[in-house]
Amino acid sequence: MAGKENKINFKNQTCGCLIDDLLRGEDCREKDDGENILINPEAEKISHQFYLRHLTDGLPIIPPTEERVLKFLENSNRKGDDLIAALPPRMGKATVEKIAVNAVMAGCLPVFMPVVENSINGLSMGRFNLAGLNATTHPVAICTIVNGPIIKEIGLNSGAGCLGPGSLANATIGRAIRLCMLNIAGAVPGVGDHATHGSPAKYSYCFAEAEEETPWGPLNVERGFKCNTVTLMGVEGPHNVNDHRSTTAEDLLDTIAHTASTAGCNNSHVPGEILVVMSPEHSGALEKQGWAKNDVKDYLHQNMTVPVQLGGRGGRKLDSKWDIDGKVSITRSSEDVVLVVAGGPGRHTMIAPGFGAGSQSVTVPF
Amino acid sequence: MSVKLVEREVLSPLGDIETKKRNLNPFPDDFETVALLDNTKPGADVILEILKDSLGKRKFLDVKKPAGAPATSEQLKKAAHSDLAILALGDCGSCTSWIVLDAIRLEYMGTPTISICSDDFIPFARELASSHGLNDLRMLEVQHPIAGLSHDEIEDKSLKIIPALRYLLQIP
Repeated sequence: MAGKENKINFKNQTCGCLIDDLLRGEDCREKDDGENILINPEAEKISHQFYLRHLTDGLPIIPPTEERVLKFLENSNRKGDDLIAALPPRMGKATVEKIAVNAVMAGCLPVFMPVVENSINGLSMGRFNLAGLNATTHPVAICTIVNGPIIKEIGLNSGAGCLGPGSLANATIGRAIRLCMLNIAGAVPGVGDHATHGSPAKYSYCFAEAEEETPWGPLNVERGFKCNTVTLMGVEGPHNVNDHRSTTAEDLLDTIAHTASTAGCNNSHVPGEILVVMSPEHSGALEKQGWAKNDVKDYLHQNMTVPVQLGGRGGRKLDSKWDIDGKVSITRSSEDVVLVVAGGPGRHTMIAPGFGAGSQSVTVPF
Repeated sequence: MSVKLVEREVLSPLGDIETKKRNLNPFPDDFETVALLDNTKPGADVILEILKDSLGKRKFLDVKKPAGAPATSEQLKKAAHSDLAILALGDCGSCTSWIVLDAIRLEYMGTPTISICSDDFIPFARELASSHGLNDLRMLEVQHPIAGLSHDEIEDKSLKIIPALRYLLQIP
């Protein structure tokens, strides 16, 4: 109670005018040019207001004040009003400032800005087919894979739990990208995003490759870069491959191939890319037996197949050119196997089928 | 002097939109060649066949295009060698996107179009067309769903849009 009595009600306080002025009959309300003290708006209130206006993913946000946004712009090499792309389906303009606003809301740190803005740049490229990905009934999400020195600089997780909770950078970068889809692209569920069920992967889906663990060289180098990169892929949420017992490379890869060879994925009727996130223990075991990265990709491409009668049940008609002796490969070539190494101890691999032939991954150097 | 506590304003996360309104290509008074773009979704071929039968003796160009992805430039060029292009079927998110966007690409190439979408996806199709400045992009709606239905059921639904098609094309 004592605390309540001590609360100051600013509205009922004296106006601050001098007594002489008041005696002269001057209207203090008109004259008062008192000092304004700026305070940050209450996060709870702004979160609720933004939620009611369909501007969030349902989780609380950090209020995007100008001061906060300016700190993000200081971490960009571009100007705030530079246009990166108009994002479908709404064709909203993704300026650097709008991306920064959404990154603030997501809880990013200003130093994450280069990853977020280069990701938006990548997914706006034609071959990524954002118009299809954002609107589809399929639960495809945008996965962001980071390579390069920035991993350590901003604390991205490439180890244990890298696809799960617990890392500020992983969690908020993926979320910032999703908020850009909601607010700039207009990919609002039921309005511009028609995913039948959606996916938990649409909240956040960002991780770094374990570059010091991979026996084969990281993804950015494979794609011709030595600098920082973001690789954007349109893929389903990850599915686990548990293999603790295989002692030969073929047996281990057969487990992965079998798990990936499912009739219900888009790749079964329009073959395309698949993401394979191999744990260091799995990749190490393969390397120990003399398997190079291309050997692994070739083997998976050749063995990830589904029977034609099952593959032909998807949304689009299976082109007869993919029917090889009654089987369809879920990838068009070994290049479609996007293989990275990440994760902590344990003999697990994660796989995530793509959107099929309708979307191609993009790697952006920065 | 008074002191006021003022909350900092927050910035809007919404991307600005700047849409330049574009005009549709008028239908010709008479037309000889009709391009039928089939995105291979289940039932698209049946719908196009029924519509084709209702248009009488004309020349038809059959063009296959991807469902959830853009038509290739070769596919569009082939379709543009016509007086009118009919595109089917938008009955999901990505296929509706690329029925509408490919129709818009054909309109830009000078070919008038009609897009066939299911009624569940027509509101999205119209919003998408408006985002590209073509608020009046011509569309016909079939009752959702189409996928999973028998040939006869799709035929029944397709026959219901024939009057609207003939009205659009001013065929008595």
